[in-house]
Amino acid sequence: PAAARRGLVGPGSSPPTCRSRCGGCHPCRPVHVAIQPGRSFPLEYYPEAWRCKCGNKLFMP
Amino acid sequence: SVSAGGGEGDGDGQTLMAVKAGFGNAANALADWDGGRDHCAWRGVACDAASFAVVGLNLSNLNLGGEISPAIGQLKSLQFVDLKLNKLTGQIPDEIGDCVSLKYLDLSGNLLYGDIPFSISKLKQLEDLILKNNQLTGPIPSTLSQIPNLKTLDLAQNKLTGDIPRLIYWNEVLQYLGLRGNSLTGTLSPDMCQLTGLWYFDVRGNNLTGTIPEGIGNCTSFEILDISYNQISGEIPYNIGYLQVATLSLQGNRLIGKIPEVIGLMQALAVLDLSENELVGPIPPILGNLSYTGKLYLHGNKLTGHIPPELGNMSKLSYLQLNDNELVGTIPAELGKLTELFELNLANNNLEGHIPANISSCSALNKFNVYGNRLNGSIPAGFQELESLTYLNLSSNNFKGQIPSELGHIVNLDTLDLSYNEFSGPVPPTIGDLEHLLELNLSKNHLTGSVPAEFGNLRSVQVIDISSNNLTGYLPEELGQLQNLDSLILNNNNLVGEIPAQLANCFSLITLNLSYNNFTGHVPSAKNFSKFPMESFVGNPMLHVYCQDSSCGHSHGT
Repeated sequence: PAAARRGLVGPGSSPPTCRSRCGGCHPCRPVHVAIQPGRSFPLEYYPEAWRCKCGNKLFMP
Repeated sequence: SVSAGGGEGDGDGQTLMAVKAGFGNAANALADWDGGRDHCAWRGVACDAASFAVVGLNLSNLNLGGEISPAIGQLKSLQFVDLKLNKLTGQIPDEIGDCVSLKYLDLSGNLLYGDIPFSISKLKQLEDLILKNNQLTGPIPSTLSQIPNLKTLDLAQNKLTGDIPRLIYWNEVLQYLGLRGNSLTGTLSPDMCQLTGLWYFDVRGNNLTGTIPEGIGNCTSFEILDISYNQISGEIPYNIGYLQVATLSLQGNRLIGKIPEVIGLMQALAVLDLSENELVGPIPPILGNLSYTGKLYLHGNKLTGHIPPELGNMSKLSYLQLNDNELVGTIPAELGKLTELFELNLANNNLEGHIPANISSCSALNKFNVYGNRLNGSIPAGFQELESLTYLNLSSNNFKGQIPSELGHIVNLDTLDLSYNEFSGPVPPTIGDLEHLLELNLSKNHLTGSVPAEFGNLRSVQVIDISSNNLTGYLPEELGQLQNLDSLILNNNNLVGEIPAQLANCFSLITLNLSYNNFTGHVPSAKNFSKFPMESFVGNPMLHVYCQDSSCGHSHGT
């Protein structure tokens, strides 16, 4: 789906555009969100994913 | 309260009492599970409104001990079970497979051991299976692939062994595969890209071997790919450039070869971690194209060449760790453009030249570490503008000139390490303004003058090391105010006068080294001073040391 979103066939990727991904809420912008995979020892950074954000609500890109 | 009629839920109250009995210690938490007829009103119990059959058990975080009773298998309408964050032990009962309506099962954060029962594969409605943070052993049952609607499979932080069953990969519905922190072996199969609905793939911290599958780029639905801390070998395939991931974590493996340039096209990357491998060659300048990346970790490899100035274009970068490589050349001034940079670690390379003045534009910088290079020049005057700095390590370089008194304006510093350089001139009294300082290391330089009395204001300091310099003058009695000081290391200087008796007030002081100076008079006889060995005072020809062992009488600290 991400590749289709880009409409490209070569290598490489882009952040989501988040165009009309926030269910009518504006402005809708891409943000990094930390995904917490549970207990983490030693404490290190969490993996991050892109989500679309409007106000304090998150939406799938 | 609800009263049970003549529906499916008739026997569920009795069954729940058997489940309660299994918990053993549930008297308090489940006090209202009393065997009466209105079990649908009991704590954590959800029922079907029509049949009064139990459909949900939400008993997380209730400090429940004991075991999960096999009686749970009698709850045929059960759809939702959450027992996470208790102290449940024993095995997951085979009878769980009889809860044929189950959609959601979360047993994470308990002490469950034994194998994952094959019977779970009978749960054809199951969508979420969360067993992380237990003591489960044995293999991942390949029959889990027979659960048609499984969306979340989280088995992280157990003691599972064996291969990841390839059949699990042939699932278009699975969205989340969490296997980190087990003892899984075998290789990554190219079949993993058959997970066409998966966004989270995490096998961090297992014993996986083999190479990254050549066709890894086919995993186009992945948002997070974490295969870190395994024993993956071989090169990073070019094909990786087709991934659409936001997080690519390959650190802590045995990857060889160069960093593929194609990674510089992966603009969706938020986190790129290739650290702690055996990568060689240069850092591709094209990585500077990653203008949305916040974290770039390339440390602990065998990277050579210069730090590309293009990295200064990574405008969202907050962490840049290039330490422990074989990088040469200078620190590019372009790094000063990284206004969101929080940590810059360039330690243990072969960098030379000056610290560019532009670094002072990195106004968010919290940690700056260039330890163990061949950098020279003086500390740039603009450094005082780095007001967020808490950690500054310039140790083991060829820096010279005076220590700028303006360093005392960086009020949040907790570590200041300038040791093993060629700094000269006095120790600035303004260092005493750093009230949050925990560790001060100025050793192995050419510093002159005295220990500033203002050091008595370093109320948090635990370590002061100014050894092997050319300090002169008296030791200030104000040092006696330092209640958190555990190491005071001033050996190999030219300090004179008496050792101030006030040092005995430093109740935390464990390590004291005043050797090889020109102290005179007597070692203070007070209280805790007797714990310091002779070695703390040797090499002061005019100092009288009272031996702790009365049999050896008086001696000189020679």
